[in-house]
Amino acid sequence: MDNIKLIINFLGQLLPAINITLIVSLSSIVLGSLLGLLLAATRLSESIVLRLLAGVYVSVIRATPAIIMIFVVYYGMPMVFNGWFHTNIDGWNRMYFVIIALTVLFSAPVSEIMRSAYESIAKGQMEAGLMVGMTPFQTFYRIILPQAFVVALPNFANSVVNLLKEGALTFTIGVVDMVAKAQMIVANNSGGFAWQTYCALALIYWVISLAIDKGLSLVEKSYQAKRKTIAV
Amino acid sequence: MSLNTDFMVKVAQTAIQGVPVTLQIVLVALLISLPIGVLFALIRIYRVKGLQRLVQFYVSLVRGTPIIAQILIVYSAFPSLLNMIIGKAAFSINPIYYAYIVFTFNSIATLTEVFRSALQTVDKGQMEAGLMVGMQPRQTFWRIILPQALISALPNIANATLYLIKNSSLAFIMSVKDITAIAKTEAAFNYNFLEAYLVVWVYYLIICYGAEIIFYLFERYFSKYRRPIKNRTGFNWFPFSIKQPKLEQK
Repeated sequence: MDNIKLIINFLGQLLPAINITLIVSLSSIVLGSLLGLLLAATRLSESIVLRLLAGVYVSVIRATPAIIMIFVVYYGMPMVFNGWFHTNIDGWNRMYFVIIALTVLFSAPVSEIMRSAYESIAKGQMEAGLMVGMTPFQTFYRIILPQAFVVALPNFANSVVNLLKEGALTFTIGVVDMVAKAQMIVANNSGGFAWQTYCALALIYWVISLAIDKGLSLVEKSYQAKRKTIAV
Repeated sequence: MSLNTDFMVKVAQTAIQGVPVTLQIVLVALLISLPIGVLFALIRIYRVKGLQRLVQFYVSLVRGTPIIAQILIVYSAFPSLLNMIIGKAAFSINPIYYAYIVFTFNSIATLTEVFRSALQTVDKGQMEAGLMVGMQPRQTFWRIILPQALISALPNIANATLYLIKNSSLAFIMSVKDITAIAKTEAAFNYNFLEAYLVVWVYYLIICYGAEIIFYLFERYFSKYRRPIKNRTGFNWFPFSIKQPKLEQK
């Protein structure tokens, strides 16, 4: 009973730090999706060189641990900027480095998801769209995209949850997010109540990922309902 | 912009001592969690009363929380828990055992989902046919269902292993001396973090690609019967055998 009280108490102390986590995750989702879209377009392009480059990029990123990526970006980017562009970016907010690292990490799985979703749509759809006189962009936007979106949604939600979990490593380069806050609380209690604090932390993350799952199933349901009305 | 190459070579030499530790964590976690994953998947599929809810809760809890939180919880809760049972000896335990615990817990959850979806891909008719010819349910499961499910599970198991290898880089938080930890301590002397992490990155790439190749070979081996039988070239490797070389069929 005491433990539950403690956990609730720690929840209250941790929650204010949630906006850092949310800002980092949301901005890397947006940027990563854009980069992933670009990558998917490259992988579907006709040039062999571009396809190969994108393929190598995706497979390298797939095999990179998140923490190594964050560290390499954090220590490497100031060096590159210093050497090549002669600008000093040491003073940047550390959040930017995390966002860049997570964007790169997120773009690889997202590009794969988008590509497989695009390829899962029958080619006849595109041809039929062009047939009735739509422009290629119109066909893509109105015919292909809505269908591919539904296909990609579960996997996309899955990788968003993964990104959220990788985002918990933000604390390693000194951004005060929830994990860092939890460690501070533990340090303030001189190491006491450690597991209760971390349980509170895990609980917050769990609720967020449950919310994502729930939102996903709601969206899926609404799409299925729409599909039915068309069929009838 | 210049990298300290001498230092990189030095780190590469010292960090290689961490490779066995990383591999050990991955292998132990994988070997323990594979059978438990199958068991949990069966519990989910057959909807065993009581247990099913528990497994569902466990999987969603582990998959919904970052591994760093799990590491921190286990690393803070287990020593004091063990302290109550075995006394002071709990604090001198090699931290690698905590790494085993965390990563096993973590991969059990992923593998449960993997096996659940894999076992569901096997057609129900396979089970019925097995029972039909007089096999027992257990026999049918071992000989008919599981081999087929394994094949469709293999790519996902490979994915889970990759995740495990990548996540094992976080073991340094538990003061396990794996690749990352060694490189980190080496780098801390002269603040050559970038060089150290580039070396570690290469190591992880090599390990991950190695794992992918191994799983590719597994997949090829286990899905032998699925591939169309290829006719080899008509060359006779045994000139004195009676068997005539097969002709190529087009």
